Amino acid sequence: MTDLNVKQEYLRLTYGDSQKVDSGKKVGKLLSAPLTQYLIFLVVLGAFPLLAQLGVLTSSFVFAIGNTMIYAIMAIGFCLLMGYSGLASLGTAGFVGIGAYIAYYFMQTYGAPFGVAFIVTVLVSLVSGVLVGFISLRIEGIYLAILTLGLSEILRNTFISLKSTIKLDMSKVRLFGVKIGEEQVYLLILVLFVLLLWITSNLIRSPIGRALLSVKNSTSAAQAMGINLMKYRVLAFVISTVFAAISGLMYMMLLRNMTTSTSTLLSMATSLNILGAVVIGGAKSLWGTTFGVFIIYGLQSTLLSKIPFFVENPAFITMITGLLIILIVMFYPGGIAQMVGNLVQKRRTAKFVTKVERRMDSYGQK
Amino acid sequence: MARSDRAYRKLVRKKTILSAEREYKDILLRDCENEVQRKTDDYRARLMRELYTAHPEWIPVEEAEKAVYENRMMQFDSDMAFTMKQASNRAAKVISKTPTSAPQEEQKLQQLQEEQTALRESYSRWLTEEIHRQLSDVSVTSPERDKALADIETAVKAFRAEQEKMAGAQMEKIRRAEDAKIQKLTVSLERAQTSPTGKLTLPEGVVLRVQDLCMYFGGVHAVDGLSFDVKKGEIFGLIGPNGAGKTTVFNCITQFYKPTSGTLLFENKAGEVISLPEEKVHDVVLQGIVRTFQNVEVIREVSVLDNLLIAGHRQFTAGIGTQALHLPALKKQERIIREKALRVLDFMGLTECKDWYAAGLPYGILKKIEIARTLMCDPQLIILDEPAAGLNDTETLELADLIRRIRDTIGCTILLVEHDMGLVMNICQTICAISFGKLLAIGTPEEIQKDPQVQKAYLGESDEEVEK
Repeated sequence: MTDLNVKQEYLRLTYGDSQKVDSGKKVGKLLSAPLTQYLIFLVVLGAFPLLAQLGVLTSSFVFAIGNTMIYAIMAIGFCLLMGYSGLASLGTAGFVGIGAYIAYYFMQTYGAPFGVAFIVTVLVSLVSGVLVGFISLRIEGIYLAILTLGLSEILRNTFISLKSTIKLDMSKVRLFGVKIGEEQVYLLILVLFVLLLWITSNLIRSPIGRALLSVKNSTSAAQAMGINLMKYRVLAFVISTVFAAISGLMYMMLLRNMTTSTSTLLSMATSLNILGAVVIGGAKSLWGTTFGVFIIYGLQSTLLSKIPFFVENPAFITMITGLLIILIVMFYPGGIAQMVGNLVQKRRTAKFVTKVERRMDSYGQK
Repeated sequence: MARSDRAYRKLVRKKTILSAEREYKDILLRDCENEVQRKTDDYRARLMRELYTAHPEWIPVEEAEKAVYENRMMQFDSDMAFTMKQASNRAAKVISKTPTSAPQEEQKLQQLQEEQTALRESYSRWLTEEIHRQLSDVSVTSPERDKALADIETAVKAFRAEQEKMAGAQMEKIRRAEDAKIQKLTVSLERAQTSPTGKLTLPEGVVLRVQDLCMYFGGVHAVDGLSFDVKKGEIFGLIGPNGAGKTTVFNCITQFYKPTSGTLLFENKAGEVISLPEEKVHDVVLQGIVRTFQNVEVIREVSVLDNLLIAGHRQFTAGIGTQALHLPALKKQERIIREKALRVLDFMGLTECKDWYAAGLPYGILKKIEIARTLMCDPQLIILDEPAAGLNDTETLELADLIRRIRDTIGCTILLVEHDMGLVMNICQTICAISFGKLLAIGTPEEIQKDPQVQKAYLGESDEEVEK
């Protein structure tokens, strides 16, 4: 063995080089901190409109990304509800309608600024979330899913009978008294999305997240440890409802008109698609969920629209998504997040094995 | 109840904050000390490194030999263990596919083992020679070296004194700030405690009184007019044949069931007597009663440490806004409770598995996690539902020791249901035997063993009396 230098090794072992390791670790730690990740994410997506102006990206691409983020806001609320509290809900679409109609009534009819509409949306959805949360105490599992589905349909039909087509004029969209265009709306959606993502991840890493998980796993243990079942179930429902309503509000800001009876936004399809996105991405991972939403809502209009085959046969995309869901449920119940986690683990093991093997060779050499 | 539920909650909250603040003071002071130690060690290491790099001939031979040899051999052993594990995994896979090849595979593993032993011997011999060869030019003693070492020691001492002085000022500041906070909290706690106490009373030394407890499920009388007193600081055993209603009694005490009739009086953490049926099930823990479950209810999706943090849930006083934004207040609480959890894990001997997921851990460890969870809640009364079920004889003996240790260190009362008569007779001061929801006998282990009614219930006069 040639690399044995006793004096140096003794020095390293007894009086190790602590400073050298520290700087490398610091950078790694900074990069792995959630806040840094969100900031990077914010900056990267925030650069898209600029790139569109420079002609690198098409404006339809930026629009599609904005649209995806709206659905992603819905999905992260749903992720908290399903992945962390274990409550199955198919009522997402109905609550989206609350946001959309508040946007119409407050901003178009009364001419209120965005801030007011936002606050009203949060308050109204909060109240409705509390109501549904109370129901969830009595009913569990598939029955809860059916009940929320029914509730969503009731809301949808109510909205249709209120006004079947809603339209928001661009001139009515004001933020802090300033009229804003499509790019600013995109940035607003981005900021809201990253903020909500950060808040959700904070909640997950807090006592609240652990309490939700314990309620999901064992209600009796949770109660014995002093966790109020009602409080946390209601909280989970409130968060997911508020997120859904906010996404409805932002949807109206970005698309600005909707024919409720024909639009898929308030139909069961949205609820199911969000469920699919969360299953694909991984119900316990926020990044995974965001990626799942991108696969279902963003892939078609951003990347696949360049490929002629998919443009001619759009039905294939739905088929591929369906196949993906089946495959993921079969092989990776934890979604893409689990898949990536497994791959990283495998790579680490492989690296470790090669390192050991290299050392093993040297033992024989002498 | 004279005092409202809200006042008690406020009191407990204040108590929690106060004890957290006290612990936080210790943590901060310890941090300061650790920082000084770390800085001094770094400083010494830097000086020593510089010295030996400049004068490699001064390296202490024996120490260097030992350190390098041991490090290399440790590396070698772990590498060999890894390859052995891989080989045995592969062998297991092959055997599961073709069972007939089992002897061959075993022989292969045996051969590998022998090869490794041989390699280890030759490697060790070579390593010793090589180290000797490389260190042959090192001189053993020289006056200059002694002088240089002494110089370093004085420099380190001076450095340490300086650091300590700086840390001392900081510590004094921390101490003053924290003491002021603690003083304020203590005053407000005392004020809260002087409010009027309840009308209910218990005799001196009794912590829990069960009186005429009845629990009917339709026509089934699971518990029927049961009465007993649990004294403070004792280990109280509840025994009875299967289906006697022991777990039902526990569920009634912890409010998982609301008793049909009867009184349950308990002296809570504030030293005030309360009626348990008026409490909500998730507030019982706040009064000081914690329980474990017959079939372990551990949160399997999270790590062992997180399980304990969940048990400390009621000690987090941070609101939802603080948690959503991860404000420093939450980080502080998280740190205090984490340190507490680590202490509990250390007490239970579970430190090495703190980061493991609870799913897939052996039954004995899951049982220990449940007990550790109860310790996180600062209990007044711990209720153990069949703690020895599924444990082997040595584990049961360990458990008996552990239960006694918990009682002695925390000073709480322990109430347990158990089928293992050896354990019950060994650790309990008082035993209560019940059958079909009715009291048979209550007394010391000797009295219970001699009691004819208990003997009849367990051994039976005729077969149908024994439910087993």
